[in-house]
Amino acid sequence: MTQHDENQHEPIAISERQLTQMTAHLEEAHQATLPVMHQAVAEWDDRLRSENTPDELAEMRAKFGRPSRRGFLIGAGATLGGLVLAACSSDDDSTSSGSSSSDTKASANSALATDLKIAALAAALENTAVATYQAGIDAATAGKLGTVPPAIVTFATTAQQQHKDHAAAWNAIITGAGKPAVDGIDITVNDGLVQPEFAKVTDVAGLAKLALALEDAAAATYLSVIPVVSDPGGVKTVATIQPVEMQHSAILNFVLGQYPVPNAFAKTDGARTLSDKIG
Amino acid sequence: MTIDERELAELTQRSRDVHADAMHEAREPLAEIVEVGREQRSRNELDPEVGRVFATKRNARLGKGLGLLGGVGIGAAILGLFERPAFASKASDIQMLQTAASIEVLAIAAYDAVLGLPFAGDLPAVVQTFVTTTKDQHAEHLQAFNAAATALGGAEQTMADPALAPVVEQAKPGLTGPGPVLDLAILLEDTAAQTYVANVGALEDENAKKVTASIMGVEAQHVSILLAVKALLDGGLVDQIALPPSDLGALPAAAGAVGFPNAFYPTELAAPADQGAVK
Repeated sequence: MTQHDENQHEPIAISERQLTQMTAHLEEAHQATLPVMHQAVAEWDDRLRSENTPDELAEMRAKFGRPSRRGFLIGAGATLGGLVLAACSSDDDSTSSGSSSSDTKASANSALATDLKIAALAAALENTAVATYQAGIDAATAGKLGTVPPAIVTFATTAQQQHKDHAAAWNAIITGAGKPAVDGIDITVNDGLVQPEFAKVTDVAGLAKLALALEDAAAATYLSVIPVVSDPGGVKTVATIQPVEMQHSAILNFVLGQYPVPNAFAKTDGARTLSDKIG
Repeated sequence: MTIDERELAELTQRSRDVHADAMHEAREPLAEIVEVGREQRSRNELDPEVGRVFATKRNARLGKGLGLLGGVGIGAAILGLFERPAFASKASDIQMLQTAASIEVLAIAAYDAVLGLPFAGDLPAVVQTFVTTTKDQHAEHLQAFNAAATALGGAEQTMADPALAPVVEQAKPGLTGPGPVLDLAILLEDTAAQTYVANVGALEDENAKKVTASIMGVEAQHVSILLAVKALLDGGLVDQIALPPSDLGALPAAAGAVGFPNAFYPTELAAPADQGAVK
């Protein structure tokens, strides 16, 4: 029934852009199932509202605005200084007595700085994945990878869109804290892995191997930072993204003929660190 | 690249339907699970302190709803009613780990039951390997969760999740072919993954958090492969259920994305922290 029959219907030329548009239905479906992300960012928003005066809140909203064209980003934008909030609230949910407020704030600022660095690394890794998939799509469109099965095209465009969503989530957090969005890539990964390996790619399998390496690195990185991220909402954000990167890995392994769930426990091998160069 | 437009639209629609059906199929048993959980809670005497802590964590999620409804300060005020004693946090962590263990016990039993079905030997070889390997992986997860629970002073959980077990029992008579088996496996794996994603955001103990985080993505990978296999089965492409698929070009385009329908892993099926706790 689903067997392709080119004699029945006239094949048409279709661009990757058109294909992406057509698979936008899938995107809509997943947009409808984003409660956790909304939840995580809304938690930050709640804390923001509970721990700032209305005037402070208004000032923040005036400063950062509500950025986005996508529903998800509207929610994420509402976090405003979510991580700033984390910095102000620290680990203790109880109301501050004020007696050691400067110590608390210094400690919280340190946690905030680390959280923001992790967010920046995550955004850069996501941007690297987006750019790599785009390079693969461009190479396929240019006929440099031989015949590209439609399912592989759908995989690449969908995974790329999800990485864009992940990057947007991290950037919403970063800009919410008053920092500029991270539009660059992880240069360390790009120079050490993507560029040399992509130069060797001549077919779909080669591209899938490179994508698998990136997905594994992303999943390992997210797993490694879970104990480090201080903001509870930040932990939730990581927790909702890490399994998705692992799902990408499973499908890539399947396509490559490798067992798709090779380990009973996710690993941190190959995790990127805060020493990576971003730009 | 040329693609049959009509076929693409049809396959995209089919993919949407598969996703919608999966969600629908998941929600019905979920409603039942929730009902069973309610009944249990009405019968059992939960430790009020532990229950309060769980309510705190749940409220962290629900609080955003209150906040978003315009009740600035109301959500925070309600959340403020649930100050969290340290001992209760530990107890809540133990409950979450025991609940996770109870889901693993059930998953092992379910896969065991699948291996005993009359048609098990007729399943594609890769599916048979998947069932056996996945069962073993769940056994490792069970050990890990129980080790984490006992490290915190809790008891090992060796019983199946009391809310989910009746759902499995009820499904057993209908396991007359691969389709219903896959549906049940998807439900169990997705419930496990969503529960662990939610728990990572709620656990206090670092080791418990690490253990759970290292498992959540693996369950998500199980979901991915099961979704992909089900899509191929439903599409009459049994021959493609192999490592690697015998002809990637014969796969429908939508098959490329069916294994990872969400950019952010949801938690709507997550089991309550105390659902499988040792009583």
